[in-house]
Amino acid sequence: MRTGTANTYDNALQQLLQRQTDLSGQQERLTSGKRVNRASDDPQASALAERALVKISRVETDQRALEVQRSAISTAESTLGDATELVRGVRELVIQAGSAGNLPGDRTMLAKKMSDLRDQLMTLANRSDSNGVPLFGGLGSTSAPFADIPAGVQYQAIPGQRSTTINGLPGAMNGQAVWMDVKTGNGTFKVGLNSANTGGVWTDTGAVTAPGALTGNDYSVNFSVVNGVTTYAVVNTTTSTTVATGQPYTDGAPIQFEGMSLVAHGQPANGDSLSVTPSTVTNIFKVLDDAISGLSNKTGGNQVSQTVALALKQIDTGMDKLQAARSQAGVWLNRADTITSAQEANTISLEGAKSRAVDLDMAKGISDFKLLDTGYQAALQSYAQIQKLSLFNFIN
Amino acid sequence: MGLLNIGTRALLANQLALQTAGNNVANVNTAGFSRQSVLMQSVEGQLTGSGYYGNGVEAVTVLRNHSDFLTRQSALTGSVSAADTKRLDMLKQLEDLFPGGADGLGASMGDMLNSFSDVASAPSDLTARTTVLARADELASRFTATATRLSTMQQGVQNELRTTAGSINSLATRIASANQQIVNEQGNGHTPNDLLDHRDELLKQLGALVQTTNIPTDDGSVSVFLAGSQPLVLGQTVAPVAITSDTFGDPGKSKLSITRGGTSVVLDEATLGGGALSGLLRFQNNDLVEAGNLLGRMALALGTRMNEQQHLGLDLNGAAGGDMFTLGAMPAVLPADTNTGTGSVAVGVQTTPSSGATSLRASDYEMTFASATSGTIRRVSDGQVSAFSAVPAQIDGLNLQVSGTAAAGDRFLVTPFRQAAASISVALGSPRALAMASTVAASAGAANQGTLVLQSLLPQTANVNLNQTVTLTFTGAGTFNVTGTGTGNPTGVGYVPGQAISYNGWALTLKGAPQVGDTYTVQANAYPGINGGNAEAMLALRDTPMVDGASATDGYAALMTQLGVKVQSAGFSASVSHSIATHTEADRAAVSGVNLDEEAARLLQFQQAYQASAKMLQVAQTVFDTLMQNLAR
Repeated sequence: MRTGTANTYDNALQQLLQRQTDLSGQQERLTSGKRVNRASDDPQASALAERALVKISRVETDQRALEVQRSAISTAESTLGDATELVRGVRELVIQAGSAGNLPGDRTMLAKKMSDLRDQLMTLANRSDSNGVPLFGGLGSTSAPFADIPAGVQYQAIPGQRSTTINGLPGAMNGQAVWMDVKTGNGTFKVGLNSANTGGVWTDTGAVTAPGALTGNDYSVNFSVVNGVTTYAVVNTTTSTTVATGQPYTDGAPIQFEGMSLVAHGQPANGDSLSVTPSTVTNIFKVLDDAISGLSNKTGGNQVSQTVALALKQIDTGMDKLQAARSQAGVWLNRADTITSAQEANTISLEGAKSRAVDLDMAKGISDFKLLDTGYQAALQSYAQIQKLSLFNFIN
Repeated sequence: MGLLNIGTRALLANQLALQTAGNNVANVNTAGFSRQSVLMQSVEGQLTGSGYYGNGVEAVTVLRNHSDFLTRQSALTGSVSAADTKRLDMLKQLEDLFPGGADGLGASMGDMLNSFSDVASAPSDLTARTTVLARADELASRFTATATRLSTMQQGVQNELRTTAGSINSLATRIASANQQIVNEQGNGHTPNDLLDHRDELLKQLGALVQTTNIPTDDGSVSVFLAGSQPLVLGQTVAPVAITSDTFGDPGKSKLSITRGGTSVVLDEATLGGGALSGLLRFQNNDLVEAGNLLGRMALALGTRMNEQQHLGLDLNGAAGGDMFTLGAMPAVLPADTNTGTGSVAVGVQTTPSSGATSLRASDYEMTFASATSGTIRRVSDGQVSAFSAVPAQIDGLNLQVSGTAAAGDRFLVTPFRQAAASISVALGSPRALAMASTVAASAGAANQGTLVLQSLLPQTANVNLNQTVTLTFTGAGTFNVTGTGTGNPTGVGYVPGQAISYNGWALTLKGAPQVGDTYTVQANAYPGINGGNAEAMLALRDTPMVDGASATDGYAALMTQLGVKVQSAGFSASVSHSIATHTEADRAAVSGVNLDEEAARLLQFQQAYQASAKMLQVAQTVFDTLMQNLAR
């Protein structure tokens, strides 16, 4: 076997160049810290890294959106806290106004205070987040969803609540449910005094004693005073049927009929009556408006007592709605924390996956580099040795 | 006097041998040189009474140490290696156009789609909208930059192909003239070693450009054939080759043609075998076209889908959205030069019955007519053939409009994606024009008692009834009735929380438990000012199957992988064929190459023989002198 000298040199040179290329490739991997620098180095790994990168940036995006939502909901939560305080303030003023010692002028002054608080409440309801999106805009609204028009407050937005998503919160709360959903009376029926009453009778807001017996009809409780004996009759005015007659009336004793019970106080005059109607839906602003108009410049008496009793009950109902919404917001804020920590874990795991796919194990990388370096040096040395060997060196 | 004669002959023969060894040493690094040796032969002896006495040595001829088989093998494996190496080099360049990570198209697409999240959070925020436009612009410019680099590569390849064809012609001419010289030298009884070496070297160089079949003829010339049977060199005549376009005149593809006697024959690159030219042709006609189609399809699918979605929204002025991206017109459909009919074909993305934007396949299509309105369409990428029986024909989300009358057998090449990436640009000038508000809005019934909440309402497809009021009335925990124009008013539809309810082009997803009588209404959006419904729909495009059933970003990862695998396998082929070529070349060099140690030994050997021959003359002289002296006494 023989070899061509030129071919030997060519091959040796090519081997050297190859080793040099390998070495510089390894150096590139070491300096970039990546095992995979282009897709062809490891197509599967680079696709994996690419997908992980996309997911990481999606997590970042979702987190950014979540922060906006979190700030909106947290503003809503504190707004609802403020609103509860305001309504509680009104409630105290209502109690104060109900006190028998007040003159009409005192009540007017208190009503003005209430009116001021009511306007503040309106401002709270129309509050927006830092991006100008109303906090209580429901499923879509103008920049101020609550319009204070003469006919009463209108919700100029689309009612409904967005749900939380896997990685997000709703950006707004359903203003309809928070502010605009207050049942009149005790939530089932409302007791009113006939405006023509001359006696001093007034009532509490009543209670349901037997839900199964409720009819949803209108009733009238008619008092008659004959020979100093006060009795009452209950008439279902929807069906024009008499439910009870000649029941003896005692101040502070419950009047009960068809699953409902109410307590009347004071002495009715003959012919005085109470109306009992099913509750309708109103809003917290209307409740306050009614209390303000019912108390402003009024002399004390059964009308004021009735107004106070009704207003307190309805304010409580409204406050319950505010507090329910506030606790809902609290739940969402907790959820935001859960989402954030889950997303952080997700990012870490994605970064790990990406790193495992394309990053260089430095220890291995350096050891491989040493190996290649040694190989290259050996190749250089052997080349230098071999090229010295020639028969011509020995011929003189 | 015999000794003197023998000595003289030996002196001469050894001198020639020394000269040949010297020539070998001198040509140690000459490419294609085959080592030579002197063939010595003893001169026929002289018959005397006491037998045959030898008459010394003579140099018969100079031999060329050479194996036809190994030379041919070396040229052939070198040719295959050249093709593989060339394709690998080009593919590596191509791969660099599609980087991964933050610099890649995939990240740019992801960023652009993600930027809609900020608009969804703050629909009236002009900063967020401007960011969307900037990201869209960035994406469009990455598309065009990549497309421009692809087309620069294409031009480079085209130029290299022309240069290579020129080199083939010049080598062929030189081979023909070497043939001429060899034929001329043929008569003198000795082989013209250096001419043969020269011709073999030319053949090897030619083989590196294009694989050839070389057939020696009796007169000493070699005939060279391309693609197995097309004569490039016959004796002293040459048929020139040229780069031409294919039958459709497709500017993205090239063919090699050969002209003999005024007739041109187009060679199929599949039959060309090895050589840099075949590698280039394969790269240009397959790899480059495929990469261009993948890129263009991605731009077209994403651009079209985003335009469609943008049309479903309302901008900040309350007007319906316009195009988000300007997509250039699709390139003209190319008729084959053999067509006889008057038909022409125009291609577009299918719009009816549904948009074809998300079902596009990255391929060219070849349309063959059997009659004016029927025929077959072949998807070039995988060769799948499907028939069409009416025009306009639809395939893979494309609409092929035919005008004029095509004759049976007429063929057309459809290249829908070649220009898409190069021509994409952002159409919107103002951030206010981004149609981020949804045209529809959902509302819960005011008297709803259940816990129904809205997860999402996305306008998804263009529909004439999109804005019609549609009311869902729940008739139980798991069923609802639908009323509204365009819905067909179905009753008892099943309700699954979290599952989209789709009518009239929108998709409504509700969660929670409804009570009987609860309603949900979808109607025209009354408050588009601070609504980000369409931004959410844009954001949902992140997960919309868009390219081969994958989302746009996953599609890009797949594209990278596809190219990566191509480079990897081309790398394996190149490494294998290179190693084979190296080995066969070593084998050839083992026979034909000069070994300096061997030549040194030969020099010594013949030097000594030469010295001995000279000694012979001296002895003969001495013998003669002795005789003369004795005679003189």
